[in-house]
Amino acid sequence: MKKFLRLADFIFIVFLILVLVLPSVVKAHSAYLAGLISITWVIFIGARIYNKSSEKVIVLGDALLVVYIFLLLWELATSKFAWLDKFLYPTPGVVIKMFIEDMPFLLKGLLSSSGLLAGGFGLALITAIPMGLYFGYKKRLKLAAKPFAKILGPIPPIVYIPYAIAVLPTFRAASIFIIFLGAFWPIFINTLNGVSDIDKKIMDSARMLNLNDRQMLLNVILPGSISAIMSGATIGLSFSFILLTSAEMIGATSGMGWHVKYFSDFADYPRVIVGILFIGIIVTIITFFFDKLEKYLLRWRKT
Amino acid sequence: MSKLVVKNVTLNYANGNKSNTTALENINFSVSEGEFLSIIGPSGCGKSSILNLFTGLLSASEGEILLNGKAISGTGLDRGVVFQHYSLFPWMSAKKNISFALSQSFPSKSKKELTRIAEDYLGAMGLKGFEDKFPAELSGGMQQRVAIAKALAMDTELILMDEPFGAVDSKTRVVLQDKLLNMWDSGEQKKTVVFITHDIDEAIFLSDRIIVMSSGPGRVKREIAVNFARPRDRFSLTKNAEYAHLRNEIVSLFYDDLASKIGGEEVVL
Ligand SMILES: Nc1ncnc2c1ncn2[C@@H]1O[C@H](COP(=O)(O)OP(=O)(O)OP(=O)(O)O)[C@@H](O)[C@H]1O
Ligand SMILES: [Mg+2]
Repeated sequence: MKKFLRLADFIFIVFLILVLVLPSVVKAHSAYLAGLISITWVIFIGARIYNKSSEKVIVLGDALLVVYIFLLLWELATSKFAWLDKFLYPTPGVVIKMFIEDMPFLLKGLLSSSGLLAGGFGLALITAIPMGLYFGYKKRLKLAAKPFAKILGPIPPIVYIPYAIAVLPTFRAASIFIIFLGAFWPIFINTLNGVSDIDKKIMDSARMLNLNDRQMLLNVILPGSISAIMSGATIGLSFSFILLTSAEMIGATSGMGWHVKYFSDFADYPRVIVGILFIGIIVTIITFFFDKLEKYLLRWRKT
Repeated sequence: MSKLVVKNVTLNYANGNKSNTTALENINFSVSEGEFLSIIGPSGCGKSSILNLFTGLLSASEGEILLNGKAISGTGLDRGVVFQHYSLFPWMSAKKNISFALSQSFPSKSKKELTRIAEDYLGAMGLKGFEDKFPAELSGGMQQRVAIAKALAMDTELILMDEPFGAVDSKTRVVLQDKLLNMWDSGEQKKTVVFITHDIDEAIFLSDRIIVMSSGPGRVKREIAVNFARPRDRFSLTKNAEYAHLRNEIVSLFYDDLASKIGGEEVVL
């Protein structure tokens, strides 16, 4: 492992020298790139000192290496040798610079998108989970709900977008409704199946305690199906993102999806790339916390 | 008075659209108030099925089962159960599994009090220090002891136990047997215990009466009274001639069944 880390260090240094020393043939802002890789490398060194020989550090090192190689190729192909069309392919330095400068604007877009996402996805969570639990618990309701879920669930919610925008009074209402639809079915269906999959022995134990419906749902059915609920919610969340950005590209005047579409129309490709990267980072952050939440909720499971 | 009466009970399991399995056929026996009754028999003879009839999770296809003179309808908090597969709630700590069950049995008691009872019973089962562990963090034998602690803590008049010491090592088993007997006759009112086991010595040591079952379909083969005075001493008991006689009787009942089965179906020497 040591050897490998030294290899990564070596590549890092070579990269840094290349970026700083090789002259750029276009206005490249290579200093921003050098700054970014230096900062990430310092963070990585810190992690190595703080947390010796842990598996996480090795994974982080691998990931950084891949990112560095990608950035290096990008830098060489644009700023150093201009192999690529400079109008379509901005240099990494320009993108990083713009990312920093546009941050207030990006955050404003995030705020606008968050409202839609929280509205639609939140609404799906607070309806689909209780309904899934209750319907799953009551056999007759479950049997009644299944065919609807089978027919309505697989319709790609994206096809509702134009109609929803036409029918609902505001664009925001339409977006929230579509995100809600997209997230509802996977959460509902997963919850429903999760309830059916609870071990019969555990259900027998619970039945011996003569619990009322409320206790049964809260203390047995909910924790018993939490794993299925979380995987449904994870699918629902990624659907929500797709729908959020699609809806914004179609009809919004702000937000992360709108950002990408708007600047594409002006052929402002650095800002398009910034918008895409920003969405990627936001999704990663949300997924990270979602995984943490799942780990916490399932802490009682054998690892 | 009889605590439990099993009258002409037959139990069929429906196997989807295929033919039914008759797990129990025309079973008759009763359990008196305060009696310690063991059921032993070969694997698959229907011991767990009988127990599940008592819990109310299953109902008889024919015949009836009376608890305190009334037909059993569904589950009830008047029965403490240790299932063969212990089945604790995996999302609750050992302590919480017990205190949660207790909050159903004793709704008027405070949370604090219930937690204390749970801790006491876990301690008695030799699980001090494991109160806050989740079932997945406990060995099979430990989980089984949590399940026993839970059933005992519920302090019911009737206790149903399905091979409760199956996953426990033989040394701990002896300790737990003593604890169980202790608890059984220490209260103001003797509890009634139905105890399923594979272990003949265990059955003799613990029981007032043993029901020996045969399989295919499950039937009561013999009821055997165990009249040794209590408290019983494990070591002197095994040296007793009557003990040896009793043990032989049960062993031969067991092998009878096995021999006829193997001779009839499988062995083609
Ligand atoms: N849920 C079920 N569905 C169908 N058949 C069942 C079911 N449970 C048990 N049986 C059948 O009923 C018979 C008795 O099973 P039971 O579990 O009562 O046996 P047992 O005496 O407890 O065995 P063991 O000592 O192995 O626990 C077996 O033939 C088994 O195959
Ligand atoms: Mg059994």
